[in-house]
Amino acid sequence: MSNRISTILAFVIAVIMFVAAWFFMQSGDGASAPARAEAPVAAPKEVPIDSTRCVASTEWMKSHHMQLLNQWRHDSVREGNRTYATPDGRHFDKSLNTCLGCHASNPMFCFMCHEYANVKPTCWNCHISPMEATK
Amino acid sequence: MIEKALKGSRGYWAWVALLLVLIGLGISAYARQMSLGLGVTGMGRDISWGVYIAQFTFLVGVAASAVMVVLPYYLHNQKAFSKIVIVGEFLAVSAALMCMLFILADMGRPDRVLNVLRYPSPHSMVFWDVMVLNGYLFINLISGWAVLGAEKKGVPPAPWTRPLIYLSIPWAFSIHTVTAFLFAGLPSRHLWLTAVLAPRFLASAFAAGTAILILLTFILRKVASFDAGQEARNKLAVLSAYAGVANFFLLGTEFFTAFYSNVPQHKQSLQYLYFGLEGHAPFVPWMWLSLIMGLVSVGLLISPSIRRQNSWLIAACVGLVLSIWIDKGVGLVIGGFVPTPLEAIVDYVPTATELSVTLGIWSIGLLVLTVLLKTAIAVKTQE
Amino acid sequence: MNQQRRDFLRKAGLGALAGIGAAAGMLPLFALEKTDMTVFTDKPVPGKVRWGMLVDTRKCREGCNECVVRCHHDHNVPDFGKSKNEVKWIWKSRYEEAFPTASKQFQSPDVENRNVLTLCNHCAEPPCTRACPTEATFRRWDGIVSMDYHRCIGCRFCMAACPYGSRSFNWQDPRPAVKELSATYPTRERGVVEKCNFCSERLVKGQLPACVESCAGNALTFGDLNDPGSELRKMLAANETMQRKPELGTLPSVFYII
Repeated sequence: MSNRISTILAFVIAVIMFVAAWFFMQSGDGASAPARAEAPVAAPKEVPIDSTRCVASTEWMKSHHMQLLNQWRHDSVREGNRTYATPDGRHFDKSLNTCLGCHASNPMFCFMCHEYANVKPTCWNCHISPMEATK
Repeated sequence: MIEKALKGSRGYWAWVALLLVLIGLGISAYARQMSLGLGVTGMGRDISWGVYIAQFTFLVGVAASAVMVVLPYYLHNQKAFSKIVIVGEFLAVSAALMCMLFILADMGRPDRVLNVLRYPSPHSMVFWDVMVLNGYLFINLISGWAVLGAEKKGVPPAPWTRPLIYLSIPWAFSIHTVTAFLFAGLPSRHLWLTAVLAPRFLASAFAAGTAILILLTFILRKVASFDAGQEARNKLAVLSAYAGVANFFLLGTEFFTAFYSNVPQHKQSLQYLYFGLEGHAPFVPWMWLSLIMGLVSVGLLISPSIRRQNSWLIAACVGLVLSIWIDKGVGLVIGGFVPTPLEAIVDYVPTATELSVTLGIWSIGLLVLTVLLKTAIAVKTQE
Repeated sequence: MNQQRRDFLRKAGLGALAGIGAAAGMLPLFALEKTDMTVFTDKPVPGKVRWGMLVDTRKCREGCNECVVRCHHDHNVPDFGKSKNEVKWIWKSRYEEAFPTASKQFQSPDVENRNVLTLCNHCAEPPCTRACPTEATFRRWDGIVSMDYHRCIGCRFCMAACPYGSRSFNWQDPRPAVKELSATYPTRERGVVEKCNFCSERLVKGQLPACVESCAGNALTFGDLNDPGSELRKMLAANETMQRKPELGTLPSVFYII
């Protein structure tokens, strides 16, 4: 009985410490990162967009596009970090419009799959969907 | 223990049924608000908070006032309060629950409420308010329930309940202080931008909250043959009287500072509420009713010979609760928005939907209180 | 005995791991591997730029509403008319509404009747961001007080905190009230707060805010308040200007020539 309690206690303490570690790391790396002197977006540098290929493989995008979009939104809206570099050195603007730049050519692109999978993302409640844009 | 709430007289079940009907009404009104948006309320661009936030403010005070029985009983060993402590604690639980429901009802996106915890922002008073209100609800529920359970078994309460109860005392002050800070830290809302707001909130809470407790003991005596004791009532009446004096004194200082300094921004909200501003005077009769009724009630409570007569005591308590409800549950929040930042005077009238939701939340709170007190009394009277 | 030993070792190991994790987090200097995150980002330096605007009310034409129309169109601002549910990003106010604490006795009739363009002040010390419980509204690296519509819970604390009435809440679904959908900016959902964003979506493309661009009378000047050489700073130095309610310490970034 007491063994079980101590196991639970050890586990709880471990969880608290991990959470604390994560929390402090979050606040730590922001503070320790040396500020780089670089012109901010006053006159934003043009991000050359290579749109011949997607930012990631089709397979990965199928399973991870929502995480990528969430991350992009966080980076560009809250941090002002708008350039996405792919591992093979191509650069993209972190914006839903980057995606739509290619994929809007098929206005049904998002809907087909979401319909099939019966998921109801709320993106188009606000963002202008390719369906509406073509109207 | 909760099974004790399932046995009751016809009157008990009729009361529960009535509350359930009112809750149903509230839920249907809330469904309308959810599907059409908060535009179905009387709130708008200029008066952006209304009945919901005002009720929340009043009820935080009711929740905090449990300290007025907990502190004398546990710190000063006032045996007279032994039967009423649990009533105070459970009143705090239901009031804190209503507070949270009113906040939820007021939110534009209640589905995102957990964002407050996902992105904790210590610079925001709302964050602290969510913390302390939740904490207060659980402290009172757990300690009250544990002490009651021990009493049922006929054993002394577990040792951990004591520190929890001691913690509830400063915590009660904190919930109402933080609630005052929600308002008192906003620049350019001059009715709220005052350092005496927190003390005034505490004073009005202790006046109205203890008056509600006194009324509760009368109700319990009548409907459940459970008497918390005349001595407890008398002691509470004294506390309520002096808290009421402090409240009206602090209100008076607000008037002095605003009108003697003659700074327009400081005067305007008070003018709007008590005298009318540029022909807009929707609250004037209410505010004067509140002021006169409150002062008379406090006067009655202060006189020992009057407050010992139960009919006068009941009248004074009802008067004081209504007075503070009008002042805090209507005037303070809505008056704070007038005039608007662009010097407009906008009137606010709550809609039927809004009032139905409000009634529904009050009914949920009363139902929770009924069930908790039913259990407590069954244990206390060893039914 | 053996079982207990194994338990102990397991717990000790877990504890040590957690300890290292916590220590590495709390003392970033001692982290096992240090990474300069800036290599992977082009995060702008906060506070280097502070966008600001100067409104020359003398040049603002009577009866002209071009900037309001253009802004509200570009940002899909719903039109609920002059109701309690009204949403507005930029609008014209009377002089005494915009500057309620400014001197008004014996004011020249010209000033008294003048319309003043009012919008979010993008304060350097914004009370709204302080009140927000989720950081859905926050001050960006370039001084713009921004809204994250994805995060807003609709508590309207920012509206109570704003001393300028610059914030609007979506009391009902805004989409049906957008007359002509513009593709340049998303619409909002019911239940969130919105306001002027200083056209951050245009700034990122190197364009001026829509109101500035649309003003035929050249009454609006936009620029970097932190750059002493900017046109805006030169005009601020050369003219007597006002801010709205400066006594509140909010340090507005919108200035006015009366």
